[in-house]
Amino acid sequence: MRKIFSLFVMSLLLMLAACGNETSEPTKTPSTTEKEVTTTESKEVNLYTSRHYDVDDELYANFEKETGIKVNVIKGEADELLERIKREGDATQADLLYTADVGRLYRAKEEGVLQSGSSELLDKQIPKKFQDNDQMWYGLTKRARVIIYNKDKVKPEELSTYEALTEDKWKGRVLIRSSENVYNQSLLASFIDINGEEKAKEWAAGIVANLARNPEGGDRDQAKAIAAGIGDVAIMNTYYYGQMLNSEDPEEVKVAEGLNVFFPNQETTGTHVNISGAGIVKHSKNKENAIKLLEFLSAPEAQGTFATANFEYPVNVDVEPSDLLKSWGDFKEQDIQLSVLGDNNAKSIMIFNEVGWK
Amino acid sequence: MKRLMLNINSWTISASCIIILLFLPNLTILKGIFTPANENWDHLKKFVLQNYIQTSVILVVFTAVFSIVIGLSLAWLIAQYQFPLRNFFKWALILPLAIPPFIGAYTYHGIVNYTGVIQKTLRNEFGIIVNPSYFDIMNIPGAIFIYTLFLYPYVYTITRIFLSNQSASLIESAKILGKGPWQIFFQIVIPISRVAIVGGSSLVVLEVLNDYGVVKYFGIQTFSTAIFQTWFGFGDIETSIKLAASLMGFVILILVFEKLLRGKKQFSFASTKVRPLQLIKLGGLKALFATSYVLIIFSFAFLIPVAQLVSWFILTFGKIPTDQFFHHIKNSVFVAGVSAAIIIFCALIIGNFSRIVKGRYVKVLPKITVLGYSIPGAVIAVAVVTTFIALDRFLSPIYAVMGIDSKLVLSLSIIMLITAYIIRFFAIGYNAIESGYDKIGTDFSHASRILGAGLMRTFVKVDLPMMKGAIISGFILVFIDIMKEIPLTLILRPFNFDTLATKAFQYASDERIMEASQASLIIITISAIAIFVFHYLLEKGPK
Repeated sequence: MRKIFSLFVMSLLLMLAACGNETSEPTKTPSTTEKEVTTTESKEVNLYTSRHYDVDDELYANFEKETGIKVNVIKGEADELLERIKREGDATQADLLYTADVGRLYRAKEEGVLQSGSSELLDKQIPKKFQDNDQMWYGLTKRARVIIYNKDKVKPEELSTYEALTEDKWKGRVLIRSSENVYNQSLLASFIDINGEEKAKEWAAGIVANLARNPEGGDRDQAKAIAAGIGDVAIMNTYYYGQMLNSEDPEEVKVAEGLNVFFPNQETTGTHVNISGAGIVKHSKNKENAIKLLEFLSAPEAQGTFATANFEYPVNVDVEPSDLLKSWGDFKEQDIQLSVLGDNNAKSIMIFNEVGWK
Repeated sequence: MKRLMLNINSWTISASCIIILLFLPNLTILKGIFTPANENWDHLKKFVLQNYIQTSVILVVFTAVFSIVIGLSLAWLIAQYQFPLRNFFKWALILPLAIPPFIGAYTYHGIVNYTGVIQKTLRNEFGIIVNPSYFDIMNIPGAIFIYTLFLYPYVYTITRIFLSNQSASLIESAKILGKGPWQIFFQIVIPISRVAIVGGSSLVVLEVLNDYGVVKYFGIQTFSTAIFQTWFGFGDIETSIKLAASLMGFVILILVFEKLLRGKKQFSFASTKVRPLQLIKLGGLKALFATSYVLIIFSFAFLIPVAQLVSWFILTFGKIPTDQFFHHIKNSVFVAGVSAAIIIFCALIIGNFSRIVKGRYVKVLPKITVLGYSIPGAVIAVAVVTTFIALDRFLSPIYAVMGIDSKLVLSLSIIMLITAYIIRFFAIGYNAIESGYDKIGTDFSHASRILGAGLMRTFVKVDLPMMKGAIISGFILVFIDIMKEIPLTLILRPFNFDTLATKAFQYASDERIMEASQASLIIITISAIAIFVFHYLLEKGPK
């Protein structure tokens, strides 16, 4: 029996080791000869990303085809990946941290896991506004959080600002998802910066007072609730609205067609915009490749792909948004330092809790 | 005698080693209980914590009660009666476990929401506009509904195996003594299967406590919400771990209490052989009633959601890349199979140790290994990463000698993920094994020992054959659970490692449930095959 036991353990270990070898390949490919020539020679770049889109995988494949640099990916949730990088410390294999919210990039920088990195091309392709001050992270796509309204029940003239949705005439008509969602946290964080904490709290309390129902579901569910007649206006990301218009389910398309996009605060502070972007990891072993990948993702071709396949707004000013996005019109964005979204994140959650926004 | 001691020692040593290894990462969390409270903690306490805890308690209590009612009634029907489709249901009733609860939640919401099949048909075919709030399942009762449907199989599986194989003598004696079927159920079946019921329902409770996917989507705030709010929102992982540690502490208290309570009442008994319960054939109305009851449960927990997934599958077929699916299947089956095998192996050792060892307090010890199941997976993941990075740093001189040019080897390999699975799902395997040991009792092993066989020989020749059912059911449960596992796989996987569950999550988290149907259906199919194959093996073997 003891023999069987030790055989079992041995074979198990062997199997695991074999599999470990296969899957941890990226850590070992720089062979000893390459080691001396430093990282410039390495033919890979390692990415921790919280974006889960098929279009991203296509872009990575194109990047590899173009440059011969292989993109290795771990997809997870932003905060969990950040924690993993932190704990891996100087031994980390991650080169880039790619998230769908600027607040997480800000946090990564605060935690000291990012480093500066720049190139002429990056500066050319990504406006300063969407870069970190110290060039530790770069925005790659934009998402606008807008008001979606029922074409039949609401005239666009009735809409003006996010703040106006707290007026009495919207009582029982406003839809928005739970405060656990990071897009809502960033939205409130931007108001804290623009209008101050007091006003931001008033706004949150005003929205809670006007809610058509307890917050539930995702962004798409808010749009469906308008169609179902539960409420008349919803605050949600354009990106989900675009997805619904292009859904495989004809019923969802029907719902989306009964709705329209309104860019709030055009006369005042501008529509809230968040970015999806990537930061260069401090202990990156392939920094040059990381920058090459950033350049590739902000170049016109990739930016166009983000816009058409994923309904995101390009950050590269030379690239036009897709036809669908253009059909909603141009809009003025909030003029704030994006990093404040991260800075005010904790404050906004506390406000949500205090005003009882579930 | 000397040899006997030696044997006991080898069992004790291996069991202790496993327990310590399983417990080590949990320790990094538990010590978080001593983190001093900061302003985030105060804020939570002041504004939300009480509400969150209340909600969690409601979810746990109702889900547990409903799961026991459904799981036990199904187990008893299947174990005692013969009725149409019984042989199919016997294994099919485990199937709902293959549907990850968050996919179940998305699917049910997809069925009942405004664009879902029910409202759509009423609206478009019959011109009926219903009050949408009648079809709102994104609330606490809705969450209880989802949890019960997809978690009751824990109670069902463990209880049914117990009843089928072990209750024959008592139940037949009761019949001879003139007890009716309801009396037997309430006076015999419930008391004797208490261990199995508690084992199964504690898995349900722990799963509800550690879940975050369903409640997050439904917008329900629970204790998990507090954990993630402090971590993701405040960026304060220390307080988040402190919260998780409090939850763990609470679970320890409950487990110890339960075990001590149970220690006083032993229901294990032994007959001359493992004898299956003789089936009673139901006829006429009774058979119809039994079949309908089981069919209704099975429809809600499996047929309806799967039908919806299939229709989404058809809608999205060819619209998303599928060329990697074989690779994902391979990965999923590999990690689930290896981890389940290791878990069952370790559970057998610890379970046997717990059985032979004397002393009530030592008997409680193995219970702490189930802690990994009590808190959200993401927190376990942090503990595992921390442990593995420490291990890698410790081993780095060896790596250097071996010529490996990296400081992280283990933590970038699949070993870290598998270890995490073992820590997390040990509870599932252990509960099945424990109730298996519980039902065979110690009489046979004592007899075997008196006749001169050693502990190991007794274990292999006497105990193991009687444990076959428990081993197989434990393996299936763990295997399925890992097939659908999410937070650990996301955080701890090596580069470029995708499983079916991560693919399903990838789409579902982006509110693209239709696209998530493909990977979900493959998970369900593979789990179904696994359940079927193991049942076949179990039936085929010597009775």
